Amino acid sequence: MTNLKFVGHPAQRVDALDKVMGKTKYVGDMSLPGMLYARTLRSELPHARIVKLDTSPALKVPGVVAVVTSADFVNHSNFGFPISDMYMLAYEKVRYVGEGIASVAAETPEAALEGVNAIICEMEPLPAVFDMAHALDPDAPQIGPDRSDGKHPNYIGHYPVYKGNPQEKLPQCDVVVDQNYETVMQEHAYLETEGGLAIPTPEGGVVVYLSCQSPFIPRNDLCKVLGLPADRVRVIVPPVGGSFGGKDDLNYQTAGQVAALALKAKRPVRMTFSREESIIASYKRGSMRMNIKLGADQDGTLRACEFRSLYDSGAYSSQSPFTSWRASIHAMGAYRYEDCTVDIDTVYTNTGYAGAYRGFGNTEVCSGIEQAIDEMADALKMDPLEFRLKNCLKVGDVTPHGQLLSESVGLSDCLLAVRKMSDWDRKRKEFANQSPSSEKRRGVGVSALFHGTSLGAEGLDEATATIEIHADNQVTLTSGLTDYGTGARTVYTLIAAEILGIQPERIKVHNPDTNTAKDSGPTVASRTTILAGNSVRVAAQNLLQNLDWAAADLLKCDVYQVHRVSEDYIGPSKEPVSWDIVVKHAREMGLVLSAFGRWSAPQIHWDEEKGTGTPYFAYHFGAQVAEVEVDLKTGHTDVINIWAVHDIGKVIFPQGAYGQLYGGISHGLGYGLYEDLDYQNGYAQSINFDTYLIPTAMDMPEIQGGFVEASFSAGPFGAKNIAEPAMVPTAPAILNAIANATGRRIRKLPANLERVMLGKELTKKGSPFSCKVALKIT
Amino acid sequence: MLINFILNHNPVSVDAPADITLLALLRDHFKLTGTKEACEVGECGACSVLLDGELANSCLVAAPSVMGRDVVTIEGIHAEDGGPNDLQRNFIEKGAVQCGFCIPGMVIAGEALLAIKSEPSRLEIREALAGNLCRCTGYMQIVDAIETTAKGRAEKPHPEKREN
Repeated sequence: MTNLKFVGHPAQRVDALDKVMGKTKYVGDMSLPGMLYARTLRSELPHARIVKLDTSPALKVPGVVAVVTSADFVNHSNFGFPISDMYMLAYEKVRYVGEGIASVAAETPEAALEGVNAIICEMEPLPAVFDMAHALDPDAPQIGPDRSDGKHPNYIGHYPVYKGNPQEKLPQCDVVVDQNYETVMQEHAYLETEGGLAIPTPEGGVVVYLSCQSPFIPRNDLCKVLGLPADRVRVIVPPVGGSFGGKDDLNYQTAGQVAALALKAKRPVRMTFSREESIIASYKRGSMRMNIKLGADQDGTLRACEFRSLYDSGAYSSQSPFTSWRASIHAMGAYRYEDCTVDIDTVYTNTGYAGAYRGFGNTEVCSGIEQAIDEMADALKMDPLEFRLKNCLKVGDVTPHGQLLSESVGLSDCLLAVRKMSDWDRKRKEFANQSPSSEKRRGVGVSALFHGTSLGAEGLDEATATIEIHADNQVTLTSGLTDYGTGARTVYTLIAAEILGIQPERIKVHNPDTNTAKDSGPTVASRTTILAGNSVRVAAQNLLQNLDWAAADLLKCDVYQVHRVSEDYIGPSKEPVSWDIVVKHAREMGLVLSAFGRWSAPQIHWDEEKGTGTPYFAYHFGAQVAEVEVDLKTGHTDVINIWAVHDIGKVIFPQGAYGQLYGGISHGLGYGLYEDLDYQNGYAQSINFDTYLIPTAMDMPEIQGGFVEASFSAGPFGAKNIAEPAMVPTAPAILNAIANATGRRIRKLPANLERVMLGKELTKKGSPFSCKVALKIT
Repeated sequence: MLINFILNHNPVSVDAPADITLLALLRDHFKLTGTKEACEVGECGACSVLLDGELANSCLVAAPSVMGRDVVTIEGIHAEDGGPNDLQRNFIEKGAVQCGFCIPGMVIAGEALLAIKSEPSRLEIREALAGNLCRCTGYMQIVDAIETTAKGRAEKPHPEKREN
């Protein structure tokens, strides 16, 4: 891949100018004449039957124009994928605190809130289950839908990987590590809260501007619950103020609520959430309890892994079947084993609910396995980085799933790079000789990861892009995959500019819009660069072919004799003609100046029963080293440095790739040290940024990042991905550094003050108070 | 009540309820939506403005309290030609922008710092940004943008005017 002009070179983000000028319009910044403001009545109980729901008092409140409940939808507003267990508004029951029950549209936000508070909603509290370990007890209250296979209704699924028999192998190993690890719920904390704006159309349909990731999912859901054909429902994604996996299911409900209100009121309706409403109502990263047994020989050869875990999906299944599956695939880490089994069971409880969040199961299991690997290295008295190098996956290895890795495995290079950058060997020696009496102790820790790119065996994996040259020679692109802050639009622009040989400034990427873009599946799983990037590449190549014919005609030569220098076309006569003239000539020749590009991912397969197959068509690899200073007097951990080197394939947009890396690390640092969306008896205990702390500029260290570009032959220009995996190894690297500094392991996240100082949690008494107040007033 | 103040260098007079915040005044009455609402408890800095030249969370400022004072929002920060100023250009160049929701507040916080400190260290920049949350960037490239701007302004005898 030589002589690339745009791909891999410094570039400006295509949407940055409006953002730095304050001109970008997010949903909450949009307003229309006659627009109404909406608000949703939300459950104050974690599990209850709706005995009476009378919305007529709300309609008597001055300014209230319309109210909707589940009765205003088809099939009680039921939706959800892969399990249809959700409703746009609660039907008969509520299953968590914050669940929407009825929505009100009014002339002002104040009148909408007054309307919500006027609704008569009588609830009969039901027994609830909050501990995932008791979700499947025979007498546990039913949370999940009825099922006919005789299994417990609170059971969502079992996700296995099976290679050999580690139970037989473990006793044969020289050293066995057997430990429990636990993670807690994490809030996405996107700065822009949820919101949607619905506009009724003259023909009885609705247009919804929705802050979300995957517009075709709510478009299809809305068709179903509103009983409208696809041509009457249009979902447009305006600029999105962060998502990280978080703006799907809950905001699909927002879409349903504002759409139904707009159709009823025959006026535009906008809903935006307060921070409190956002945190109370929204789904989180789910919590996980893991038991990991590892076996190795004295020479440092890792031989067996037995991983068992319970995953709490909370009140709804949301994306948990997929999250749990991805967790199972990555649970053993990026290592070779003779025998390896993974068993993950996923259950319903009444503790909020869990859905997609950056890393999607891998963040959770990586915090367990990467600590277990460190504990094994300690037991073997081996350097943990050396131990990883000895056992990590390389080209030619077969993974525990049975997949031969034939290319693009840069993990060893990542580990070697962070070892050098961090001065690892010297620091490990130096920190081993710290005075035992010193109150402030330093440590370094390492963590490695692999992360399957795109959906894997979760579903059909293809994407479509369109490209068009307009009368003024501007080029426009559409993709069915969105850019919710990631930089994807800039990636598309650079790929199209590279293929067409034109300046990126000529290209404009449209907002994702179900009326103009093609359904390309969900914008998840860090799949945008490979899937949408490849589809843009194919579309641009299809368009380029027509321009090449026009150039050859103009230059009076064969197509193969035409070549391009900058934006000029040159033939045997050496006389250049500009791109604009070629485009004009193509028009005169009657050649079409638009094209379509579809790219399908390589075929893969997973056997859900046998737990074997080819789960993903490619993997991202990476390694991070964290250096910490722990104050033993206060329990405070200061992360002084992080070195992060990831194999993301070819880097297309360098500033964007580094931005993803640094940002991912900030999520991982928060996850490792203080983020815990604690629920007590179903009530969230932190509902704004005064108590739910995310890293500030002072908490983040200066990060030294780098990329190994182990080219992936099917990726656009050899690219893989970066978004999710950037955060995955950060928390375990920090936990391993704390163990190196203090000699103590913290096996339950986060490593907050009390766990670091006392080695245990302080007993906390929860309160439902703040949730109840916030749902009524803010 | 009638509130008179200087908004983005122009005297304004607005009839607004006395019990609203400066944030609501800016967004709802002046339709200046560059100032963002994200927590309303003064923790995130998305609603940052310059109040008499100093960084302030507009969600914590009572609208009537700006009477006679000087308020600059992101809409008041630009080069003389109306395009991006040096700080805003550096945000673009350094890749400091992702979802962009915190960025108006970050630019304001950067200007507030550079108004009182001509060559801040990276740690001083981080301290100045500690009241502005960003969930996307990990802050690295935002610090880069402010650092580069500070150096650029220090080198120029007449630093580019940030407002007109």
